[in-house]
Amino acid sequence: MNHKLELRNVTKTFNTEEGEMGALEGISIEVKPAEFLCIIGPSGCGKTTLLRMIAGLDHPSSGEIILDGKEVKGPSPDRGMVFQEFSLFPWRTVLKNVEFGLEIKGVGDKARGEIAEKYIELVGLQGFENHYPYELSGGMKQRVAIARALATEPSILLMDEPFGSVDAQTRNILQEELLEIWKRTKKTVLFVTHSVDEAVYLADRVAVMSARPGCLVKCLDINIPRPRKRTSLEVNEFRGKLLMLLSLERSKACISV
Amino acid sequence: MKLPAKEKWLWLVPLIAVLLLWEFTAGYVIKNPLFLPRFSAVIFSIYVLREVLIPDILVSLLHFGIGLGLAFAVALPLAIGMGWSKSIFKAIDPIIEILRPIPPLAWIPIAMIWFHLTHYAAGFIIFIGAFFPILIDSYTGFRDVPKVLVETGKVLGCIGDKKQIKYVAFPYALPSVATGTRVGMGVGWMCVVAAEMFGVSDSGLGFRLFQKFYFLHQMDYVVAYMLVLGLVALCLDRLFRHFVEDKLFKWKKGIVK
Ligand SMILES: Nc1ncnc2c1ncn2[C@@H]1O[C@H](COP(=O)(O)OP(=O)(O)OP(=O)(O)O)[C@@H](O)[C@H]1O
Ligand SMILES: [Mg+2]
Repeated sequence: MNHKLELRNVTKTFNTEEGEMGALEGISIEVKPAEFLCIIGPSGCGKTTLLRMIAGLDHPSSGEIILDGKEVKGPSPDRGMVFQEFSLFPWRTVLKNVEFGLEIKGVGDKARGEIAEKYIELVGLQGFENHYPYELSGGMKQRVAIARALATEPSILLMDEPFGSVDAQTRNILQEELLEIWKRTKKTVLFVTHSVDEAVYLADRVAVMSARPGCLVKCLDINIPRPRKRTSLEVNEFRGKLLMLLSLERSKACISV
Repeated sequence: MKLPAKEKWLWLVPLIAVLLLWEFTAGYVIKNPLFLPRFSAVIFSIYVLREVLIPDILVSLLHFGIGLGLAFAVALPLAIGMGWSKSIFKAIDPIIEILRPIPPLAWIPIAMIWFHLTHYAAGFIIFIGAFFPILIDSYTGFRDVPKVLVETGKVLGCIGDKKQIKYVAFPYALPSVATGTRVGMGVGWMCVVAAEMFGVSDSGLGFRLFQKFYFLHQMDYVVAYMLVLGLVALCLDRLFRHFVEDKLFKWKKGIVK
């Protein structure tokens, strides 16, 4: 049993004003070390909720989340997270944003700068160290967020539609960069998306979720050798398979795997 | 903001026009210095009064400093508590809301009884004036810290109220604290005359204006001191903007302008 991350029958209900609302139902999944897992599903199916619980920002109503053999109890810098919305600290420059986690950890000034610089270069933002977030484009902001999440060297990276708000062109570039970083740093990546193209291009495996209450419909291995070509036959075939599965789900009630 | 040279000096035109109108009306229409002293007479008075003027300004600044410093020192921790914790807010807000509408001048009798005729009595009135704007604006800043920034902090290792306030809430709220302080300075300064009116000291702008010049009906002196009151406030505001707002809040540019 050398799973990096294991979800056991994770269920989440929210108490809202209209009463209890099931957001996630009986999610069980295992993730291997250094695996790139994409989670795909319609809007509102609980992808963000799932990631937040793995990050420790929220707690399952029942079930367990086991990371490196230990149950997740709260947030910790050993899990990096990139949020769906922009989350840079607006009062900090690019450099200071990337340094944030290290500063909290108590890493000295000089070492901090060096580490941060390394990750800024990794996401291709050298020269922008002293810019404030308002001076950056959307894609650049997400790159900073990625560099910031990487800087504390977490073993797992949780990414919630990080490229959702950038144009298609930039998105492709960012995807390639992310794969490059993943290859180099050997991190486990959980990547939420609702783009089929994105999932097929990036993932080792894709977990398909159904609409409310969100449950796991199917996990598909993507055995297409890398580097993948977005237009190759196998990629297209897989995309077709995934699309069919998703549209099937839309018209069907939730069934457990 | 860069203005063309022509626009940069535009403000001088209406100013000079008003001064000329004043001079002319007072000298040739009203012709009664008790009713409206001429501008030139007022300027001359400032020159005549130069030896009492400086100590008066200093004493007023002392009262102002006591009041403002105290207001800031009390309002800031309260604002942090109220903005950060809903239960502290709920506990304290009713008291604040009852005290807030009471005009600062209504506190004069209390100030006399508590502090007698000392600088602290004047400081107390100014404190009452400056306290609420500082509290309300600062509190709003701490209350409105975006959840995603707090959570980003948590994921990067910023755990516990103390760290979250220091690294996330405080820098986020700082511009609101500054705005509140600026408004508080304005209101506090307006209380200076009233605070000195009842004779807490034998100098001070308000004391001189009311207890000496007005009693003797030296209206040119009164108006001279009114002008000085305005000018000192203007200087304080400009200094604050120059040293605090412009320097500290470069990152705000993208948000407000
Ligand atoms: N704090 C909360 N309180 C109540 N309901 C919530 C809360 N957070 C999320 N929900 C509900 O849980 C469901 C899942 O939300 P979630 O944000 O996880 O969806 P998502 O899959 O990330 O959607 P999207 O793709 O649009 O980002 C939604 O119906 C949402 O309304
Ligand atoms: Mg989401």
